[in-house]
Amino acid sequence: MSQVGNVFRLSFRDYTHEWRMSGCFVFSLASVLAPMMILFGLKFGIVSSMVYELVENPVNREIRPIGSGRYDQQWIEKYRSRGEVEFIIPKTRALAASIQLKSETAKIILSTELMATAEQDPLLANLSKTPENIYQIVLSQSAAKKLNISRGDQVDASLARQFKGKRERVHLKLEVIDIADASVANRSVAFVHLDLLIATEHFKDGRSVPELGWGGDAVDAESRSYPSFRMYARSIYDVENLVKDLEDQGVRVKTKAVEITTVQSIDRNLSIIFWIIACVGAAGFAFSLGASLWANVDRKKKDLSILRLVGFKGGRIVLFPVMQSFYTAILGWLLAVLVYLVFEQLINRYLAPRLNLDQTLCYLISEHFFWALGLTVTTAIFAAIMGGMRAANIDPSDGLRDI
Amino acid sequence: MSTIVYSLKNVVKERVVENVGFRLQVPSIEIHAEENIALVGHSGCGKSTLMDMFALILHPDESDSFEINPADGKLDDIDRLWQRKQRDRLSQIRRQHIGYVMQSGGLLSYLTVRENIELPRRLLKLPNDDSIDSISRVLGIHRQLDKLPGLLSAGERQRVVFARALSHRPTILLADEPTAALDPITARKIMAVVMELIKGLKITLITASHDWAHVYKMDLRILKQEAGPIENGRIYQSTFRD
Repeated sequence: MSQVGNVFRLSFRDYTHEWRMSGCFVFSLASVLAPMMILFGLKFGIVSSMVYELVENPVNREIRPIGSGRYDQQWIEKYRSRGEVEFIIPKTRALAASIQLKSETAKIILSTELMATAEQDPLLANLSKTPENIYQIVLSQSAAKKLNISRGDQVDASLARQFKGKRERVHLKLEVIDIADASVANRSVAFVHLDLLIATEHFKDGRSVPELGWGGDAVDAESRSYPSFRMYARSIYDVENLVKDLEDQGVRVKTKAVEITTVQSIDRNLSIIFWIIACVGAAGFAFSLGASLWANVDRKKKDLSILRLVGFKGGRIVLFPVMQSFYTAILGWLLAVLVYLVFEQLINRYLAPRLNLDQTLCYLISEHFFWALGLTVTTAIFAAIMGGMRAANIDPSDGLRDI
Repeated sequence: MSTIVYSLKNVVKERVVENVGFRLQVPSIEIHAEENIALVGHSGCGKSTLMDMFALILHPDESDSFEINPADGKLDDIDRLWQRKQRDRLSQIRRQHIGYVMQSGGLLSYLTVRENIELPRRLLKLPNDDSIDSISRVLGIHRQLDKLPGLLSAGERQRVVFARALSHRPTILLADEPTAALDPITARKIMAVVMELIKGLKITLITASHDWAHVYKMDLRILKQEAGPIENGRIYQSTFRD
């Protein structure tokens, strides 16, 4: 067996032979690391879910055009394909975008605003279904309440127009496939497939909608354009870029710039606080671990000197405390992770509900565990190398004598 | 004339703190192959310091010459190896040619007796033969081979240390007060066995002692030692010479 192999074997034998002492080192490492991980978990859980809420709230990411313009399908597609854009959908003229809804369970006829939607609409992100055709709609909670209907019910939709001096009204049976969260809109809104919105506009403009059997003038063959659109940036950090880009094209837009600045500064400040705690904690941990492992090498001075006496090279001897510190680092980290996970569950299951928080209170991502492992192993090995070098550099004679 | 194993000229090792201390001086020592040498003197006269320098685990402060020639042909300038920090060569010489027995201790508590004895052999990648069993039998520790050293008596432990120092068939055996921690009867028993054992092994023995050496006067060459205060009593100087 090579010298290195022998050192590995001996360090492991010594480590297991001294299992009580090794256990103490593992426990002492874990008892510093575990609370730090819990602290980090809390900080990260609270901060990130708070920031997440602020950053992710679609309202803060919306870019709304002011006034009306002419945006054709190509223009919409161009923006839809951009990385900074999470969602874009055209709007028809506001005046034409309304419909009368009536249910069997309520006496009123509700005039409801129509809003086009499609898959990945951030406003309806919590819903499992989006309207896939003309006959499916999602109602805002306010509209659903007034109509006294729930998911799966049918509503009667009707449109009226003055066409060639006559008053006309058409009816359409729609299925309410879902109800949007109250936070989405506090007014009566029906989220529909874009085709229904276009059909509505055509009907009100006196044009025909052959798919629905609605008569009128033939639709011009010219490619259609929309006066407006609904756009969401992927993150609040993408808003500025998109706005600049749109304004360069002469599109005037409105955003939640002030709110975004606020959110960004909160995000930044909390991150700074988080990192201060992280760095101070990590430094403290590194020093305490380093000191104890360094001291351990000192304790092993005699054994290391014996190994040098029988002829191990000084450089190989350093491996001895390094390997032992490595074992301690790995085992201590494992124990700390275990303790952390137990506390994470306890905190999230029992403490969070008591505080009326529906967000996750304590949370770490897998990266954090690896960071902890990396820090632990690096510190442990560094301390062991420092101590080991000292042991390897003194004359073995100085380490051999009992005093 | 046989090979000179150790050749020392004007070797000095000082341990001085704030102008008060100890100074070991070796004007000249030559030790030939298979000689049996004893360093005799009261404790504190620098025997261990000199032994450690012989064992290449302590560097001399000054020396005109410090050479070792443990096996035929390969002569090493130890002083230069220390100065150039060629510690790997030093440990190689230790590993191959030197067996060292300390006053007490020196066993690895986490290895069994057998593994302790085997260690030098493993380092040299020597084959597993019956040499460990036979040397253990001669030293009377063959029943203890699978125990941990912690379970052995002081005398048994010292026998194990001897077995380890001899297991890889070194050409030099250094024993620094090997029996000082034992009762006189056990001490003599062990030394009788050891002296008998090394007779057939072509070994150069250097041992430090203050008690039993006289028993083997016939077999040992005792180095001359004198000691006394110098420099107005601030330095205690001890001198060893041929």
